[in-house]
Amino acid sequence: MAAKLALALLVMALVAAPEILSPYYRSLALAILADVALAVSWAFFSGPSRYLSLATGAFFGAGAYLTAIVEARVPWPLPVLGGALMGGAMALLVGALALRLRGPYFAVFTFGLAELAKHSLIWYETGVTGTVGRLILAPPEPWTLYYTILCLAGLAVLTALALRRSRWGYALAGIGSDEERAETLGIDTTRVKIGTFALSAAFMGAVGAAMAPRWTYLDPQVFNPFVSFQTVIMALLGGATTVAGPIVGAVFLGLASEILLLKFRYLYLLGLGLTLIVVVLALPSGLAGLLRRSSPSPLSSPPAGERAG
Amino acid sequence: MSPTLVVDIVVGGLITGGIYALVALGLNLQYGLMRVLNVAHGEFLMMGAYLTYSLHTAWGVNPLLTLLITGPASFGAGLVLHRLLYARVLAGEAAEALESRSLLLSFGLLFVLQNAALLLWSADLKGYSYLAVPLHFLGSVFPANRLVAAAVALAVSLAFYVFLQQSFLGKAIRALMQDPEGAQLAGINLSRVHGLCFGIGIAMSAVTGSLISMLFELTPFIGLPYTVTALVVVILGGLGNVAGSLLGGLILGLVETASVYLAASDIRLIASYAVLSLILILKPSGLFGR
Repeated sequence: MAAKLALALLVMALVAAPEILSPYYRSLALAILADVALAVSWAFFSGPSRYLSLATGAFFGAGAYLTAIVEARVPWPLPVLGGALMGGAMALLVGALALRLRGPYFAVFTFGLAELAKHSLIWYETGVTGTVGRLILAPPEPWTLYYTILCLAGLAVLTALALRRSRWGYALAGIGSDEERAETLGIDTTRVKIGTFALSAAFMGAVGAAMAPRWTYLDPQVFNPFVSFQTVIMALLGGATTVAGPIVGAVFLGLASEILLLKFRYLYLLGLGLTLIVVVLALPSGLAGLLRRSSPSPLSSPPAGERAG
Repeated sequence: MSPTLVVDIVVGGLITGGIYALVALGLNLQYGLMRVLNVAHGEFLMMGAYLTYSLHTAWGVNPLLTLLITGPASFGAGLVLHRLLYARVLAGEAAEALESRSLLLSFGLLFVLQNAALLLWSADLKGYSYLAVPLHFLGSVFPANRLVAAAVALAVSLAFYVFLQQSFLGKAIRALMQDPEGAQLAGINLSRVHGLCFGIGIAMSAVTGSLISMLFELTPFIGLPYTVTALVVVILGGLGNVAGSLLGGLILGLVETASVYLAASDIRLIASYAVLSLILILKPSGLFGR
């Protein structure tokens, strides 16, 4: 009961935030909510399936660049919708090629995707359109952006919750613990994997599209592998097999980076690396695992009791 | 295509390829033996390059002699890192979980090393000039330092290959690659060989870095592109296949140089990623895989 009350209060606070907060804190809340959306949507695929995706930066970048291209020519929520479709479509293509690959192959393939997208785009923009960047001259109102991101973060959390208790979610966890067995048990593993991967990529593309107006100038550097890493670190720090874990990780690292990134950039990033090492060595189930010792670890042991059958 | 262009592409490709082969060999040794995909591999190259740069500019040490420092120093660092980080993860884990966790560890390492270098040397371009004299070869011109760097890289790679084929330790390494359990039953100390190989792999990367510092200007960000290239080479030649890495490095060097000469320089990364995708999709065991 108390938890439900707290949740209701939190939602009310988040909805009311743009009215109460100063522009600085509203922008901070916006950035953290975007991180939450990314980390949660990363975790609902990579957490149970244990396919380590490093393609977040590619999907995010695709969404962001799409907004920059269409600019103010289409009314607001449409670029976000377009970003979602774009991310989903990219994931369908990449997934069809790469999800047959297990372990590090998949991680490597997805990792290269952001770089490939960036360099292909630079090549295209300089060679065909003759530009190197795009200006967003008429961004939507700040509160419009805030509510867009809030909706996306909320949707991502609801999707993660729904997925956990669905047949689809059990199938994904089954794939994570033993893919061959899952297949023997009659799960269409390809469909489950690619479907969930595309769903998570759709969120990433939408978040990218919704975050783009925050920068007035965008160039292909928006395909940033750092986005991929940061998302993974956030989700793992919190605990990737829970829904609360990635949220906790995103809020924690979002605040930390806000406070430290500008003042001590290199030291902060160095600390981020150390954090990842410590999490992998000492906290295999993340901060959420500290609170709930019984929760399964994302990458070291198969999620007990969540096997598809 | 004129004969000079052919010489340009072939010799240029072999020079680049020789360097790629050495980086890739180190990466492959780590992966083939302990399933550790070390994405921080290129960061050790970057560190080696900066070490040579600092030794050369501060004390005037000959860049080629610095190999005798960067090699052993990075080997030691590799031993320590293996003991502190990877040995813990490697102990008693299911294969797939192990690969993901060691991958994440090396991502952490990547952040640490890159930002440590940024703190130590800043993001400004650093460089020096060494052996930048033109050599004429079959009607084409190549800088002497490139030829020297490629020759050293190839010599080290070949020496390692012979070591792997002939020496007792080399045989132990190959035995562990083929059948870890059987090799341990025959009395090979798994953890010790792992540590040694991790050190050797990192030393190869750092030595390549020392060589590269003679050729290009340095930033703390040069590591990652080499990691990506090394990954492409390793996957091209087959994970765990040492001879495959050597050949794969040379092939990728030729492909890249040809694409730069025949198309455009910004197509280079796209070309290597296209090669990677094709191999992963068509033949994940590599060109020379069984």
